[in-house]
Amino acid sequence: MTGFLAANRDLVIFTGAAAVKIVFFLTAVMGFTALMTLAERKVSALMQDRIGPNRASIFGFAFNGLFHPAADGLKMLFKEDFVPGRAEKFLFTLAPFFALVPVVALFAVIPFGDYVTILGYRAELQIADLPLGLFFVLAFSGLAIYGVFLGGWASKNNFALLGAMRGAAQMVSYEVVLGLTLVGLLMVYGTAGLQDMVRAQGNLIHGFIPAWGIVYQPFGFILFLTAAIAENKRTPFDLVEGESEIIGYFMEYSSMRFAAFMFAEFIEIILIAMLAATLFFGGWQVPYLYEAGFALPGGFQLPLNHYLVAALQVCSFSVKTVFFCWFLLVVRWTLPRFRFDQLMGLCWKLLLPLALLNIFITGAVLLKLGKL
Amino acid sequence: MISVRKVNNKPLNLLEKIYLWEIARGLLVTMRHFFKNLFNPRGLLTVRFPEETRPLPGNAKFRTRHRLKVRADGSPKCVACFLCQTACPAYCIHIEAAEYPDNSVEKYPAVFDIDLSRCVVCGMCVEACPEDAIAMDTGEIPGGALARRDMLLTKEALLRNLAGEPSLLGASNRLANEYLKARGEEL
Repeated sequence: MTGFLAANRDLVIFTGAAAVKIVFFLTAVMGFTALMTLAERKVSALMQDRIGPNRASIFGFAFNGLFHPAADGLKMLFKEDFVPGRAEKFLFTLAPFFALVPVVALFAVIPFGDYVTILGYRAELQIADLPLGLFFVLAFSGLAIYGVFLGGWASKNNFALLGAMRGAAQMVSYEVVLGLTLVGLLMVYGTAGLQDMVRAQGNLIHGFIPAWGIVYQPFGFILFLTAAIAENKRTPFDLVEGESEIIGYFMEYSSMRFAAFMFAEFIEIILIAMLAATLFFGGWQVPYLYEAGFALPGGFQLPLNHYLVAALQVCSFSVKTVFFCWFLLVVRWTLPRFRFDQLMGLCWKLLLPLALLNIFITGAVLLKLGKL
Repeated sequence: MISVRKVNNKPLNLLEKIYLWEIARGLLVTMRHFFKNLFNPRGLLTVRFPEETRPLPGNAKFRTRHRLKVRADGSPKCVACFLCQTACPAYCIHIEAAEYPDNSVEKYPAVFDIDLSRCVVCGMCVEACPEDAIAMDTGEIPGGALARRDMLLTKEALLRNLAGEPSLLGASNRLANEYLKARGEEL
């Protein structure tokens, strides 16, 4: 055994580091997801001059509603796990997994920091540094449609099927726009690895503007955000669920199976927030913070410890993620729902041509600057 | 005859057709509310009922928590005739009658329970009472409770007089007042 460990020292260290990163990152994401279910209710309450949930308490301590996610989870666990008699049992069981797995898998390529050197081992703060990370993201977000459609179809319920049909049409359409909006970034950075993209955003334009994606592709950012919200199936694009008309593809689901769909949706909010931060707002970059410390354009230098720099970068990424999560919640509770023809019209007649135009302009500018 | 009303909605101008500007304006409204309430929660409309209540408006005659009225000597006016229990559509009143040792004419309720978790606050008991012994004028709206037994109003709770208003002075106690006045006793 020790002989094997000694012979494959690099492999063992790599595996161990990867396991630690997965546990660390996914625990953080899952915890944050639980808090997002509370944040959704609290943010909407504050926007509507209400208080929001504040009753769940342990030994009389409510902490203004902090225990509500736990209470919700417990309640879900104790609900009856009901399967309709005419449902396709196998697919009905499979659908929640299809909803959850692709979303969780996507966190593998999100860089949440630069790197830390521990005992001489350089650990990248990203679970898997795929050279084609961006395409991995697009491919796996395309898989999420299976959860929606299988769930709606296997329930053998007309409303669920209607929701699933809408979901399929909507997600397939916006998938196209989502992919095309990111082409501009590919052209600007010349790489599809997310870590490389974030590193490239650490440069400065004219010596003082951080070279974040939003500076290069402000238009692309708006298109990306719109398409991403539509992919997420939340208001104003929540026709898939349409709480007030059809309940949607998870209509027949109860207990933790329903919770899996719900959880997937909330994880997807975090994922979109992380992607927006990574692609357009410099990921873990803090403006003017480099490996050695701060270096302001005026010549001011502030050397910092390596671990402090890494911590600052992870903090920066977290702050950006939290901000975008909050922003997505505010958008969800502000805008009314589109009509289905408006939704499709917006996608095919407006967003798609604009995304193509964005690619064209980006290409033209890069050609003019001689960087293509 | 079908009447058709044609709604002439104002056509959207270019800025509104792009959505973005209008969306930003809408977001500003909601964000303003969010931050205002985040940093100054006193403006929130929510009343933390039942810990916190608001006074009922004006002289409105709301049906509120029940009470049992008492006579001048402190005994309940209720004679345990079961009319309220019979009239109650929610079956929330439970009465057990007992007799006074020195009075063979009328009974009194040994047990008078109202289960507020079942009460539908319809006021039928008040209408049915021939003795005008039960009233729903306390001004308290019963709140929720964590256990069913906390929603039970016992005789002792029902006989609790209103603060600052002895039940004898109420207009509903006119007969008692006249009786006492005839006997020349001042209240």
